[in-house]
This record gives sequence, structure tokens and C-alpha cells, in this order.
Amino acid sequence: MTDVVEAAGGLTRDELLRRGAALGGALLVGGALSGTAGAAEAAPKIKRGGVFRLGISGAGAQDFIDGQHIVAKSDIARLVAGFEGLSYFNEQYKPTIDGLAEELEAEKPNQWLIRVRDGIEFHNGKTLSADDVIYSIRRTLKPKLGLFGRAAFGAVDPSRMKKLDSRTVRLTLKQGDVTLIDAFSQYFQGIVPFGYSPDSLGSRGKHPLRFIGTGPYKVKSFVPGRQSIHVRNENYWREGQPYFDEVRIINFADDTARINALLGGQVDAIVDVPYAQIPLVQKRKGLKVHEQPTGAWNPISMRVDVPPFDDNRVRQAMRLLINRPQVVQQALSGHGRVGNDIYSPFDLCYAGDEFPQRKYDPEKAKSLLKAAGQEGLTVDLQTTAADTGMVEECEILAQNAKAGGVTINVKNLDGGTFYGDQYLKWPFAADYWGTRNYLAQVGVGSLAESPFNESTWQNHPQYPRFNSLYKQALGTVDLNKRCEIIKEMQKLEYDEGGHIIAYFKNLADAYSTKVGGFKIDRGTLNLNKYGNGFRTIYFV
Amino acid sequence: MRILRGIPGFVVRRLLLGVLTLWVASLVIFAATQALPGDAARSILGRNATPESLADLRQQLGLNRPVVEQYTDWIGGVLTGDFGTSLAAALPVTEVIGERIEYSAFLMLIAAIVSIPLAVLIGAVSARRRDGPFDHTMSIITLALAALPEFVVGIAFVVVLATTVFHVFPAVTLIDPGVGPWHYPKELVLPTLTLVIAVTPYIARIMRASMVEILESDYVEMARLKGLSERLVLWRHAVPNGIAPTFQVIAINLAFLAGGIVVVEYVFNYPGIGAGFVDAVRSRDMPVVQALSLLIAAIYVVLNLLADVATILVSPRLRTSLK
Repeated sequence: MTDVVEAAGGLTRDELLRRGAALGGALLVGGALSGTAGAAEAAPKIKRGGVFRLGISGAGAQDFIDGQHIVAKSDIARLVAGFEGLSYFNEQYKPTIDGLAEELEAEKPNQWLIRVRDGIEFHNGKTLSADDVIYSIRRTLKPKLGLFGRAAFGAVDPSRMKKLDSRTVRLTLKQGDVTLIDAFSQYFQGIVPFGYSPDSLGSRGKHPLRFIGTGPYKVKSFVPGRQSIHVRNENYWREGQPYFDEVRIINFADDTARINALLGGQVDAIVDVPYAQIPLVQKRKGLKVHEQPTGAWNPISMRVDVPPFDDNRVRQAMRLLINRPQVVQQALSGHGRVGNDIYSPFDLCYAGDEFPQRKYDPEKAKSLLKAAGQEGLTVDLQTTAADTGMVEECEILAQNAKAGGVTINVKNLDGGTFYGDQYLKWPFAADYWGTRNYLAQVGVGSLAESPFNESTWQNHPQYPRFNSLYKQALGTVDLNKRCEIIKEMQKLEYDEGGHIIAYFKNLADAYSTKVGGFKIDRGTLNLNKYGNGFRTIYFV
Repeated sequence: MRILRGIPGFVVRRLLLGVLTLWVASLVIFAATQALPGDAARSILGRNATPESLADLRQQLGLNRPVVEQYTDWIGGVLTGDFGTSLAAALPVTEVIGERIEYSAFLMLIAAIVSIPLAVLIGAVSARRRDGPFDHTMSIITLALAALPEFVVGIAFVVVLATTVFHVFPAVTLIDPGVGPWHYPKELVLPTLTLVIAVTPYIARIMRASMVEILESDYVEMARLKGLSERLVLWRHAVPNGIAPTFQVIAINLAFLAGGIVVVEYVFNYPGIGAGFVDAVRSRDMPVVQALSLLIAAIYVVLNLLADVATILVSPRLRTSLK
């Protein structure tokens, strides 16, 4: 009997029942489960109600709530509580029809059909309709607003969005894009009501509709930089959800204060436990560390059009001058995986693990540099503490590079300077990215029109080829064919590109064991997308 | 100034000087904020800023105006009591910092109420029992505490009393916006204790030094010879004189509380002006930075003036020299 119970933790309910039957009947399993810890995990008792308090890092007084834009993590948590998208990435990072749309598909590569579910209400009682969808996409595309999602909708033609009926829209694209569902599945692509804050970010503009979404919680109060209170949306469309009466999102400027608040029981969950503090939280009874292996990466980027990095031999040498396992151990305290200079590890067409893994090889780097006439090279490397590991990996690279005769002067700048007018112009600099699929990432980071092309890849002689492959891939419905094209693109970046991608890192959050329902999620967001907008988590 | 003599004259002259000081401070503050790299538009939009959105927001925030015009607009507003609009929060500055001032002032006040009498008591008793066990113990303790940075003290309190050893007090201050801090006595305990420990040693040591001197003076000897009890000698004759030099130290320490509680507010997530200051600098929210800097400068000016007046009032020699 003990065997069955111990196995229960790792099995799904179905598997358990099947195995139970094999052992001689479901009755036995039922008996074994009752009154054990394993049973509590398999079928947690959901307690409805309560006030859930989340401790989060924020930007400060410029925090805002907008259904389609974020800057700091606090903005993300507040967005997902109140706004929802047409579709979502599931825990395996696969776009899924699990949002406001009941249908979202490419009728042809350049033609998409969107139908929203029937009878969904906004917080002000208005029913969600095709007009809101069209308005939301148009708002995303406004250059003046500078919204996060705009770059991903490059293929959408705002003049060719046709309302077919009250719930259905047909988009005719400028060019084929079979991955448009990726863009719609991004958490910041909320559907906002027609007329929503058209000229400024939601809560900064004081527009009457600024807090109105379809999400599980309505905004009750919001003091930027301090806290927001969200109350249950009684008319929420998903049966039985959400569970909490109220969600409080509380800003902490300091990591230590945030952890102390959790240790002292003043909040129920926090985002971003610094890796070094994980053992401290793990040790504590009543707390749980929630670690998610994500596709987040911190590139160290070399501009392919600026000396000395315009010579591919120099770029290759730099890629060999970083000891990747050491970076994972020291910069991430082991909470990540080694990277191979290709992004988007969860993409179905990811080829980074098919190419030979780049290893620390100062001798080979030396000979490459010698061939390029850059022996004893000295360069500045700009970085900033915007994200865990960004500064540390640069320092480790600088140490490692000495063996190759390269002197790297790491300039650790404050955020305002780093992301100031020189940003994206530095010849050699670090940066950060979340999880994305390959073509989506190319769209925002590797094209001439991308907003963040750190390596100025568009000025590389191979770029025209890369760009035409990209267009071709977007228009290719067949997955195998698409993967072939994408692999060729990755090969170009692997051989000639400007990014050093040393690792993909984990997100580490923590919560009180009084809370249940969190799942391990590969996406960009902390805490299983904040418990899917605080609707799939509950007190137990 | 023939009309204003004595202490009122002194106060008026010092106030005029104080206004001049503040004006110079305003110039320095403005110049310093201009020298910071980056701007509020960048900070608000984050790294997702596009040239279009940056240009539009800079226009909205008035960041394109010439520097001199920005200064004159700002100082003109200040003179009429209008501190402008916070760039980060898009709200009037007074609204953004008003509550923070209230929170910090309250914390400062209770820290002062606890620490000043405590320090005076420790200083006076140590001087009275000079070289006794109490004096030696206090001397070691105050020296040790004065050497500890506030964040170490704060974190030690949190570990011992909030998170790890005992769970007596809350580790951080979670105050609902719009509710006064006095509704949260438990939350205030640890920040207050930390500030008390930051301030008390200095005042106590100065008090002791000045009392040691006074207890050896002729008039104290006289009082003793008259047959007064030691208690009366100490509290009626020695302390009022010994406290005069302490006023300056108290003033400096209170001013420190106003500007220097950044660290303490950070450790406890206390929503006061210190935390607000850090936040505003980080987001390049210049109107808030300027308003808070001016406020802290004004506190320094006023506290120093009060200390001087108090010193004059308790020192007969200085009092008469003003006449």
C-alpha cells in the first residue's frame, strides 16, 4: 500500500486510477489515499474567498495599469488581474484557444478569423463584441502610444479588419503570418473596450474606461508605487472562478523587504527570490519555492557593423571566451541551463541543441583574433542591473577573456544611462529578454524594423537572405517545412550572428503553503502567469 | 535693523538668511537634476520607448522647454505654493508627497519623543556616575551602536523580532494608502526602534561630555555646598545648562532623521519621503526630487534656527549679548 501512496505524487489522476485497477480495484486506491499527504496534493480542497496578498517589485510612482502595455513586473500583475487576451500560451508555451476567442485561426496564411465567445461582459457591464477586438488591435498599432505588442503585429493591416458579425472579425494581412496567434497570446495583448484610453496609457490618462477589462478581478483602488486592490468580478465568464474575494498587489522596492514580508507572513506570495536566498526560503516550514525553467535569456550583443565586431572572427572568438557552465553556476547559482547562442529554446523548430555546443576555448579564440589582426584586443562592455545575471555574466566573461589575451572593461551603468540615448547603439552590451517562440523573437529583435535589434543584424551581408527566409517562414503553413526554413535562419545566426547567449534561466518565486493551484510554467511570467490572473489559485 | 532687537530680530535675520540659503539650494538642486543622465520620459516608457512615443511624451511633460524657462516656471510655481506635477505619477506633486511627508513626520516625531529624553537621561546619569559601572557599560554600548549602520540594526531587528527567531512584530510596514500611520502601532515598532538606536548614542555622548564639565563647575559645587540633594543638583542645576550644547546635536540628528531615513524606510518598506526620494531619483521625476530636496533643506534651516534660539534662551551670556 505504501508503494501506491508514494507513487501518487508523480501521477495524474487517470494514471493513478488505472494503476489502482491493476493492483486490484479502485477501492484499494481510495483507501490508500484517504488521510495521507499524497491525497491532499492530488485533490486539494479549495477554500473559496479570502484576501490574497502578492509582494512584487515595481517601478515606483510611474506604475500604471493598462490592458495592453507594461514596463515593470507590478504592471504585469495588475494587467493580468483585470484584462484578458484572445488566446494564451499554455504551461508548455504552446499557444492555446483558452482566452476570449472561441476561434482564432489562419484561414489562409494572410487571412485570420477571430470569433469571441458569446456573452462575455466587461467590468462595466458592456458585452464583448467584434468592435472591441478591432478597436484593441488598432490601439496596439498606434505608434504614438508605443505599446509593447506593436512590433508583433507588423503584418496586420489596420484598414483591412472586417467585422463579419457581432462576434466575428476577419483580418486580411499585408503578408502571410501563420504565427499571428503567438502575438495574440502574449499576456500584454489584452482586449480593451471600444474607446479605451485612446491617447495615453490607461491609468496615466485618467480615462473613464482605464480599468475596464473582462478579467477575473476589478480594480477597487490603485496607488502607483504602493499597492492596488482588486475585487472579484462577480460576472466572470469561467465557471466557478476566480476563488479569492480580493487580491492585493503590493510594491516592494527592496528584495530583502519583500522576502521579509513573506517570512513574516505579511504577504502570501512574492516574485523573484534572489537565487542566493532560495535555500533560506526552502528551509522554512510553510513556504514553497516555485521554480520555473523558462526561455528567458540575457544576451551579450556585439554590433555586426561596428569594428572590431564587424569581423566575424572576432565575434566567434568572443563566443568562445565565455565559460558557460561557470556562468550558470556563478551568475545564476545553478538556476539555469547553458545556451548555445540561439534563442527560443521552446520553439518546436529550435535547433540550438543540434549545432555543436560552443565551449570555452581561449586557444582557438586567440588564433581567430590573430587571424583577424585583433590580438590583445581591449573593449568596453556596457551593462546594467536590469535583470538577474546581466552584470555577473559580463564580469565572468571579462575574467574568462583574459586567457585569450582580451581585456574587457565592464561598465556597470545605472538604468537611466544604459537605456538612454545610447541604448541599441552600444557596440558591445548586455540586455534581457523573456520567453518567445523563434519567429516572434526575430520580429522584435532581429529585423531592420524591430524595436530592439541590439546586434544591428540588419547591416550584416547575410541579412537579406535571413529576412526573406523570415517572410517565407511566416507564410508556410506546414510545420515541417517551416522548421526547415527556421533552421536555416538559426544556422545563419549561429555562424555569423552578434549575440552571445550563455544561458536560459529559471524564474524563482515563493508562496505560502496556504495557497494552492500554482503550476510549473515555461513562459515569461512569474508564478504560473500570476496564477493565470489570480483565477486558478486559491487558499487550501 | 534698529526696530527688531533681541531674539525677534535674531530670528528675523536668520529667517531671511534661511530664505537665501533655500534659494541657493534650489539652484544647486535644479542644476544637479539637470546633470542626471536620462529623463522621465525614458523612465516612464521603459526600454520599449519608440522615437514617436518618446517625442510625444516629452512634449506632454514639457521636457523640451529651455532649461532656464523650466527653472523660472518651477521657482515661480514654488513661490505661489504650486510645486508642479509629478512626471512619473501624473498627479500634483503635493498629492504625491503629501502623504509621504505625513508618514515620515510621524515616524520622526515618535523616534524623537523616545530618543531625546532617553539620551538626556543616559547622558546625565553617566556623567553623574562617572567611571562607575553604569557609565562604562553605557559608554561601550553607545559606542558600539553608533558604529553600526542603520540597515544592520534594522535587519537584526527584523531577524530577531519578526521573521526568524520570534514573530512578535511585522517585518515590513504595510499601510493602506489614505490611512494614517498611527493606526498601525505594531508596524511602527521596528522602524522606530531602529531610528532610536541610530540617534540616541550621539546625543547621549554629547550630553555626558557636557554634563561632566558642568558637574565640576563652581556653581554646581556651590549648590552642593548649600546642602541640596544630589538629585536636585543634577536635575535642577546641572541638566538645564548641560543640555545647551546638546541642542545642536539634537537638531543635527533630527535633520538627519528627515533626510537620512532612506535606508530605514527601504528596509521596512515604509512609505515615507526617504523611499519616495529614491523612487523619484530613479524615475527622474524632477518636480518631486526638487520639492523633497527643498523640503529637507528647509528642515535643516528651521531646525538649526530652533537650536540656536534654544541655546540662546538657556544661556544667559548669549541672551544678554543680543540686547
